[in-house]
Amino acid sequence: MRILLVEDDLMIGDAIEGVLKDASYATDWVKNGLTALAALDTQNYALVLLDLGLPGKDGLDVLDAIRARNNPVPLLIITARDGLDDRLRGLDGGADDFLLKPFAMAELLARMRAVLRRRGGNAQSLLDNGEVSLDLASKQASTADISEVQLSSREFALLQALLIRPGAILSRSELEDQIYGWGDEVESNAVEFLIHALRRKLGNHVIKNVRGMGWMVSKGV
Amino acid sequence: MDGFKRRLSDSVQSRLSVTLSLAILIVALLAGAFAFISALDETHEMQDESLRQVAVLFDRQHMTLRYPGAERIVGDDEESRIIVQYLSDSAKATGNDDASIPLPFPVTLADGLSTLNIAGENFRALVRTTSAGERIVVAQEADVRDKEARESAWRRLLPFFILFPVLLLMVGDLVRKLFRPIATLSAEIDQRDQQALHPVDEQHLPSEIRPFVVAINRLLKRVAQAMEAQRRFIADAAHELRSPMTALSLQAERLSSAPMSEAARQSFAPLAQGIERSRKLIEQLLALAAAQSVTQRAETAVSVHALFRRVLEDLLPLAENKGIDIGVESVEDVQVVINELDLFILVKNLVDNAIRYTPAGGRVDLSVEPAEQGVLIEIKDSGPGISAEEQELVFDPFYRSLGTGEAGSGLGLSIVSTIASRNDASVTLNFLDELSQKGLRVTVRLYRPVV
Repeated sequence: MRILLVEDDLMIGDAIEGVLKDASYATDWVKNGLTALAALDTQNYALVLLDLGLPGKDGLDVLDAIRARNNPVPLLIITARDGLDDRLRGLDGGADDFLLKPFAMAELLARMRAVLRRRGGNAQSLLDNGEVSLDLASKQASTADISEVQLSSREFALLQALLIRPGAILSRSELEDQIYGWGDEVESNAVEFLIHALRRKLGNHVIKNVRGMGWMVSKGV
Repeated sequence: MDGFKRRLSDSVQSRLSVTLSLAILIVALLAGAFAFISALDETHEMQDESLRQVAVLFDRQHMTLRYPGAERIVGDDEESRIIVQYLSDSAKATGNDDASIPLPFPVTLADGLSTLNIAGENFRALVRTTSAGERIVVAQEADVRDKEARESAWRRLLPFFILFPVLLLMVGDLVRKLFRPIATLSAEIDQRDQQALHPVDEQHLPSEIRPFVVAINRLLKRVAQAMEAQRRFIADAAHELRSPMTALSLQAERLSSAPMSEAARQSFAPLAQGIERSRKLIEQLLALAAAQSVTQRAETAVSVHALFRRVLEDLLPLAENKGIDIGVESVEDVQVVINELDLFILVKNLVDNAIRYTPAGGRVDLSVEPAEQGVLIEIKDSGPGISAEEQELVFDPFYRSLGTGEAGSGLGLSIVSTIASRNDASVTLNFLDELSQKGLRVTVRLYRPVV
């Protein structure tokens, strides 16, 4: 997969290029907006990583120019600017995501994967937080130790709700909304019962309880 | 007395009041004395004039005298009566009594006015030689005349006695009123928050002190600019540090996955920690600069429980690493009107501190409840707490407790107090257990409308 990296800072560019190389992406690194537009004219890229503080032509102008040419390439902004205005202008201008410096390598790669997945359009068949993975078609869950445990449909619905946003805490009522359809009668303790069942199947550490707030699965690494 | 003198030389208001009062007093005394004396003279002149008129009347109408003896007439008053007698009759005076006429005037008296002592009483007497060649004397007791003159003079003084205190009160009141804008102005400036550097309103001030206020406003503006420049410098510096920090941490991460010897790996761990610590410090500096910036932030109704949840989502990994049981105690949510990001950063810094300074296996509790004026948020931990001596110091930037071994930025509570002061909130620190002096209870009082 070919990635275009637009970054004028030599140290960061060098580091990101190395990270992408390690992750087996082919990377073209350009250091200003005009070269970036020229590169996009001649080459098809799977993804553009765009810094905003560029010499000559500002990153947001580069973004406008790309979208003005009807180039639909997925684009991830990486910047040190944390102003809300910049973020909104970037996302409104057609960026797929916005990553604030300094960021960790794993986060960059995860965001890139997410953007590519979303743009790929193919529905996800697998949810994964690094600890537990859930096959959406077969409703089977796996962890590092246990492979492919079949889940009941309510257990599946609950685990799916948690795995859609790993690290997010969901309250009891939010989980009840996920596992009961409209008109279903909500049984008391149903959430605790399902979580108990899931823990027995997958291990205690998989679902975490946050006292007074709800449950979550960890964000993964 | 010393204090009074100092007040007099320091305060324009006192000086003005005292000087004006003294001036009024002196003028009033002088005017009073003059009025008194002139009233006295005038009355005496009028009385002399009436003696003269009686003498002229007697002469013009060619009256003859008959002395009344001891008989009494209604309306006659021995004290104030006017006596007319022939001067030559003085020799016929019968006794030392001044009540029976004729009186013993000296026969040699010259024409004109004089004051004499007759039979133990002072008399004012006018001697006139009539056209018939007789010499008459018209006289009246001096005591009565003096008494009348004095009464008339005192009556002349009465307006002064009434007007003088009124004038004093008016002057005092006027001076106080004139100086009131200055007093209000100084009270307004005195009550200001240290961040409030907006100019002083110079519209309703007397023109005499307006130049002074204009100068103060210019100074305030310069101070605000200097503070803003300083804040921006910190923000810019931290901002500029972000890029090299990003490069540094990315390279370190790459390095960590490269094959290396055991010795190299051992020295790599502290390096990564150092980078992480610097990264955190930069973030905190940026947060502090943002909290200090003067820009207005939008305020909305914020669900405190939803905010707790976001804070916990961010900080749960930190708590899990230390095996700390963290949770929310309150059952009922509270909605408060505030800038959401401000409250988030405030709570997050407090919870972050609680987790950091609580030993492994400890406990951290969050709670919220509506209070009399606004909302009460509490963050309690089972850590060592903060001693009373340190409780003031911990809000200073870069202050860190000794012997905690924690690699914090030292800015967390500065950010908290900055946000608190700009959001009508107070933050107090107490021991969770006052008896054993253990644990920390941070109470945040938000004086904010509750939805």
